[in-house]
Amino acid sequence: MSLTDFHRFKELARQENVVFYYTGYFSQSIVTAMGDSLRLRLASLDASQTARRKLFSVFVEMAQNVVHYSADHLSASEAADHEIRMGSLWVGEDDGQFYVVCANPITAEGVEHIRAKLEPLRTMTNEEIKARYKEKLRTEGEAGSKGAGLGFLTVARDSSNPIEFDFVEENEGQPFTTFYLKATI
Amino acid sequence: MQNLYIAPTSSTPEVNFQFDRHQLSLRGESYPENAHAFFGPIMQAIQAYLPTLHSTQVTLDVQLAYFNSSSTKVLLELFSLFNDAAVAGNYVTLNWHYIEDDETILEFGQEVADDFTALDFNPCALVE
Repeated sequence: MSLTDFHRFKELARQENVVFYYTGYFSQSIVTAMGDSLRLRLASLDASQTARRKLFSVFVEMAQNVVHYSADHLSASEAADHEIRMGSLWVGEDDGQFYVVCANPITAEGVEHIRAKLEPLRTMTNEEIKARYKEKLRTEGEAGSKGAGLGFLTVARDSSNPIEFDFVEENEGQPFTTFYLKATI
Repeated sequence: MQNLYIAPTSSTPEVNFQFDRHQLSLRGESYPENAHAFFGPIMQAIQAYLPTLHSTQVTLDVQLAYFNSSSTKVLLELFSLFNDAAVAGNYVTLNWHYIEDDETILEFGQEVADDFTALDFNPCALVE
């Protein structure tokens, strides 16, 4: 990549009001450092306390989702702590609203599993999402979940618009599908 | 029983449990990678402490500006233990500190109060 290309990349990010962009391996210490950086940026922006907290919440849930579930990992796949996995995360501003987008590789089997979890959240009202969240908070976590199984519900709860998601097939020979999730605060 | 102190980090709260004074506090933010790993020893200390009480006044100060979903679930388990201790004849005051315009934190506190009615729930608004 030439320095001119870097400049185009930087200019595009500026024009699109990208507050923050990271791509690479995610570990808890990277999430914490990104969180510190994001908070500094948010402090200088004109946003309410509630909007900042919701944005931070969506950022943490999405970033920790990469740490726990991305299919491309450096740590042992059965590790319960100190995991390191591949992903990308954007925070930007569009028409005065903040958004967070996260992308990470998943396996083919993961596609339907995630779709089944996310599709219902798109049509639920805020009240329904809150009720579902409360109910889920008091039930046992599902098998295979490393957190509380509340991550997507938390993202949907803190998002002001329905969450958006997509699955993009990579080129032939690539083992993974890229999962995109977007939440607007 | 030995007091428990854990210094805060960017993603874990300060834990200051002065069991000898029955004054316990959690302050800061909570989004560890593995909430069960972080809170496990804290839960164990509480489980050892609560059965030693007899009609005791315990004060729990919680001032968490942010906690992630897995911490939320563990916090609920923690409050459940204190509620059991209150049902067993102790007096547990939960001082719930929240930033005044942060509805999510206050709402969660109110849910805790609704679920665990034996706790003396005391919401404390912090003005920024």
